Amino acid sequence: MKAATIRTFQTVHTWTGLLAGFALFVAFYAGALTVFHDDIAAWQNPPWRAAADANVPMDTLIERLLAHHPEARQDFGIVLARDSSHAAYAYWEAKDGSRFATASQVEAPRSEASENELADFVYALHDSLGLPVIGLYLMGIVSVIYGLALLSGILIHLPQLVKDLFAMRVGRNLKRLWQDAHNAIGVISLPFHVIFAVTGALFCLFGITLAALNTVAFDGKLFDAFAKATNTTPAVTVSGTNASMLSTEALIERARAEALKSGVTTFEPDYMHFVHYGDRNAVAEVRGLSQHTLGSFGSVAMSAHDGTVLATYVGDKYSVNGISYASLFGLHFGSFGGRTVQWLYFILGLAGAFLFYSGNLLWIESRRKRRHAEQPRKTLVMARATVGVCIGSCLAISGAFVATWIAVRLGVDAGVPQRVACYGLFLAACAYACLRPVARAMIELLWVTAALTAAMALVDLASNASAMAQAWSPLGWRVIGVDLTGIALGIVFAVLARAATRRARSGNANSVWAIKAPSPVAVGTERPQ
Amino acid sequence: MIARCLAGTVLGFPLAALLLALLLHVLPGHGQALLIPALILFFPLWTAFMATAYMFRSGPRAWLIMGSANIVVFAALWLLRLPG
Repeated sequence: MKAATIRTFQTVHTWTGLLAGFALFVAFYAGALTVFHDDIAAWQNPPWRAAADANVPMDTLIERLLAHHPEARQDFGIVLARDSSHAAYAYWEAKDGSRFATASQVEAPRSEASENELADFVYALHDSLGLPVIGLYLMGIVSVIYGLALLSGILIHLPQLVKDLFAMRVGRNLKRLWQDAHNAIGVISLPFHVIFAVTGALFCLFGITLAALNTVAFDGKLFDAFAKATNTTPAVTVSGTNASMLSTEALIERARAEALKSGVTTFEPDYMHFVHYGDRNAVAEVRGLSQHTLGSFGSVAMSAHDGTVLATYVGDKYSVNGISYASLFGLHFGSFGGRTVQWLYFILGLAGAFLFYSGNLLWIESRRKRRHAEQPRKTLVMARATVGVCIGSCLAISGAFVATWIAVRLGVDAGVPQRVACYGLFLAACAYACLRPVARAMIELLWVTAALTAAMALVDLASNASAMAQAWSPLGWRVIGVDLTGIALGIVFAVLARAATRRARSGNANSVWAIKAPSPVAVGTERPQ
Repeated sequence: MIARCLAGTVLGFPLAALLLALLLHVLPGHGQALLIPALILFFPLWTAFMATAYMFRSGPRAWLIMGSANIVVFAALWLLRLPG
């Protein structure tokens, strides 16, 4: 490649990084935590502090749902309880939008899937920065820019990729070290980043992209073809005769047996979908999670009346379309390989966040004036933004954990406190980074984040100790796991704070990251004439 | 720079879409069995065209060549779709 082309791609890489880097940092940090979605849910509602309606059987939920909303019988779903201390909830479409309700909420259903779950809030931060509607499109555009950043990054480094890949030039040239770390992480975790750029763009922009492709290139036939390729519920006509329905337990058992016959080793149901409930031709579809397969979310459709299997989309019964579609979810959520893959995704997710953070630092470093104490204004602005947004979002998410913890113990809904704490702390951190000298702001925000994160984990461990000792349940491991991870993250933030302090005191003074010595003018005035 | 960026973004989108539609059209059964893998390829392909646009010497050249490519692929697709 010509030198001029490489320079062009360098510009592309810089600009795409600037445009998407901040949003990607939040997406990756929150995404790394979201890997442990169910564990965070268990942390909020451990077995000894079960959520409301946790013990209500699913058939009671369906009965109550149809008693209050008979029109929902044509098409509704049940999101199964993820563990014994959570409640299953129903999902259906009303005339003016989606409705969600656990057994005791059917009279006044919610219009959001969950309002109090910390795990779902962290997920919302991950996929849309927590912003309704616009956030998802924003993150979709960010994913596309991220893809271009990856491609241009690879093109820049291609000529010397192999030679420099494992080079870590630790030495006086700190920029070189940051550059090496940025490149090594970028290249080694490239497959992982490609997965997210592609699936992220697909998940966020799916509806409008499909509509656009339908008009531009598929002559209006894409929607039908897509529905045919991904539909897992067989089409049936209403018979008009009422019939008895099998219990949800019986349907789940039958689905599991059918799935295990189809080449998977596990099938953990997480969602059921009913069509024409109560009719002779009613269909029940059970979706479940299988391990050690890319099509980790499979489904079995049956007659809800007698349990005859109508269609199976699991293991070796998948079509090419089916397995491709299912693998998008498996690959994005890291749900295909148990705890090992979850930890791998967690670490790669944090490494991804580091990639965007280090990208910003490199941008600042390559514009540093080595011979002047005064640094260009734009690098100072960038430094403030990086500290405020990146460290601020870590602090904000820890704050959401604290707010949830307190709200649960006060017996109030955690939804509003979570959001207030999260966005409040984020804005406060950004303001703080703008007002304080940036090197000090960075160190102080890191220490606050370290202290808050570790303290939350320690307090939770201490307060749960007696409950765990009295009524131990295997779910307790999840709570302990979340707390230990919190302590570990707290230690990481503390280590970063110490490193930043060292940099500020003894690193090169001509930098935005140096804590300035008292200005020579002030010293001069004290000198006797 | 901006002209090439726009050429890749604006013209790369339909070009990627039309190429995939063309590919599916010539496959047996109009590619219904491979629809999802083809749709997954859409974003990587679009991104590749965005990057390709920067390889052109100038903005107008990028618009000209990518625009012509769009027309050629669209015409091919249209001819193939003609009945008979």
